[in-house]
Amino acid sequence: MNKKSLKPLLYIAPSFLLAFIIISYPIIDLIRLSVNDVGTFGDLNGFIGLLNYQDVFEDELFFEVLLRTLFWTVSVVLGTVIISVPIALALNEDFYGKGIATTIIMLPWAISLAMTAVIWKWILNPEYGMLNSVLLSFGLIDENIGWLANASTAFPMQILIGILVSIPFTISILMGGLSSIPRDIYEAAFLDGASYFTRLRTLTLPLLKPFINIAIVLNVIYVFNSFPIIWILTEGGPSNSTDILPTYLYKMAFQYGEIGLAAAVSIIMLSLLLMFTFIYAYVAMKEKK
Amino acid sequence: MKKKKIIRTIICWLVLLPVMLTVLFPFVVTVLTALKPRNELTQIPPSFLPSEFQWGNFIEVWQNTNIASSLINSLFISTVATVIALVVAAPCAYAMTRFDFKGKTAYRFFLLVTQMLSPIVLVLGLFRLMVYMGVVDSLGFLSVIYAAFNIAFCVWMLQSYFETIPKDLEESAWIDGASRFRSLLTIFLPLALPAVVIVAMFTFVNSWNEFIIAFSTLRDSSSYTIQLGIIEMTGYYSVRWDYIMVSVIIATIPVAILFAWLQKHLVGGLTSGSVK
Repeated sequence: MNKKSLKPLLYIAPSFLLAFIIISYPIIDLIRLSVNDVGTFGDLNGFIGLLNYQDVFEDELFFEVLLRTLFWTVSVVLGTVIISVPIALALNEDFYGKGIATTIIMLPWAISLAMTAVIWKWILNPEYGMLNSVLLSFGLIDENIGWLANASTAFPMQILIGILVSIPFTISILMGGLSSIPRDIYEAAFLDGASYFTRLRTLTLPLLKPFINIAIVLNVIYVFNSFPIIWILTEGGPSNSTDILPTYLYKMAFQYGEIGLAAAVSIIMLSLLLMFTFIYAYVAMKEKK
Repeated sequence: MKKKKIIRTIICWLVLLPVMLTVLFPFVVTVLTALKPRNELTQIPPSFLPSEFQWGNFIEVWQNTNIASSLINSLFISTVATVIALVVAAPCAYAMTRFDFKGKTAYRFFLLVTQMLSPIVLVLGLFRLMVYMGVVDSLGFLSVIYAAFNIAFCVWMLQSYFETIPKDLEESAWIDGASRFRSLLTIFLPLALPAVVIVAMFTFVNSWNEFIIAFSTLRDSSSYTIQLGIIEMTGYYSVRWDYIMVSVIIATIPVAILFAWLQKHLVGGLTSGSVK
């Protein structure tokens, strides 16, 4: 009996040890840092309770960045889902060129976020970038726009790029959902003479809803944590006007040497993430039943 | 019937076209920039097409930049991370499918949490762990970190595949005197080869494309991954966008090919394995 219960643990131990050390050491260390007065080089100068958290919450910039992060997350996720649903529906139809269309739509997934951001940085270059030159040649603008010089143009651009890179993952979840809908349901509806849009409204969308929910929650987690697009395009600038929590955290930890504050921000983000994870587990579990 | 399909084709392409054009635009720009002669990059107004295709750019990049060494670094990190992830995930997935034990549900939730924790929230702690262990700039340790972040997905994928392997197959091996661990190696893994390949490629691509941990923890440019090597090139005083785009192509094509094949297998694992 004893032997039996130990055996599975042996199989699990390597994965557990690896994941536990790599993930829990940083968490414990971050919690410890966040309640200490920490020097620029990470030296601990004594317990100060929640003072670091208080400093973070009293910082106006933090709230500005937090609000921008929420705006970023909601815009990217909503935009992604709104664009992805019709695309997934179209790709689920039987039409000529379906294979190539699917491949092209999925293409951005293969490229790392960092490389995507580098390419867009070049496209958005004010003098030599292709976006200005295409817009000029179609007469849509009269002069070159410095897209990344102002938050008012940089941030919407970053949101658009964020949407673009989130579409493939979302579509593949939705396509997985669509393929799980049994065909005969449609045949019955077809015999009843229901039009495409009636079928869409009464059958497809309700059946797809669980998958849309999963796509929303997973995207919220990914987008909320996304670093490369914002960092490579603007580094959160000019003067913090495009910072989101991940870039703000990076600056505090690795540029300003505010280790204690950075640890507090990490723990705050971690708590938000855990909350999202519970929501995901709840949503996914509910759909299973 | 055929006429209907043609109408359907037109409607579908109309729906898809705007997104497809937006997706293709950066690709076209990348390729055309990579092949432009240098002086045409900074010409006003910019030209869309190069006057001639400068294939020599690929050779120049190879000779004049550090891309070769960062490619080797990335290859090393991604391969080691993949091997480690497989070695620890396979027995774990086996135990999750074939054993009943206390704490199984808790372990499942632990794995889910590790999957959801994004590296950005841990990166300060990870960097301090590396400093503490004296392994800053160690490519080997970076691989261990990457492996850890991929365990959950590997376990889910392998688990959902292991479940389809009939029990009798290994039971007959036990009768022949093979231990459980032996049957895992000689029967399970060969049968689950498709899942193993998918998991390996997924971990490889993830490690190849990872940015934030490498960016925050690698200090010495000789240990840069391919992602960092290219980002570094964008920070030079006179940016060679042709070189950068050539490097982007070199860094991306192999992974893109792997990924094109891989993507249809991914989501099944992401959505089904995670909640069972």
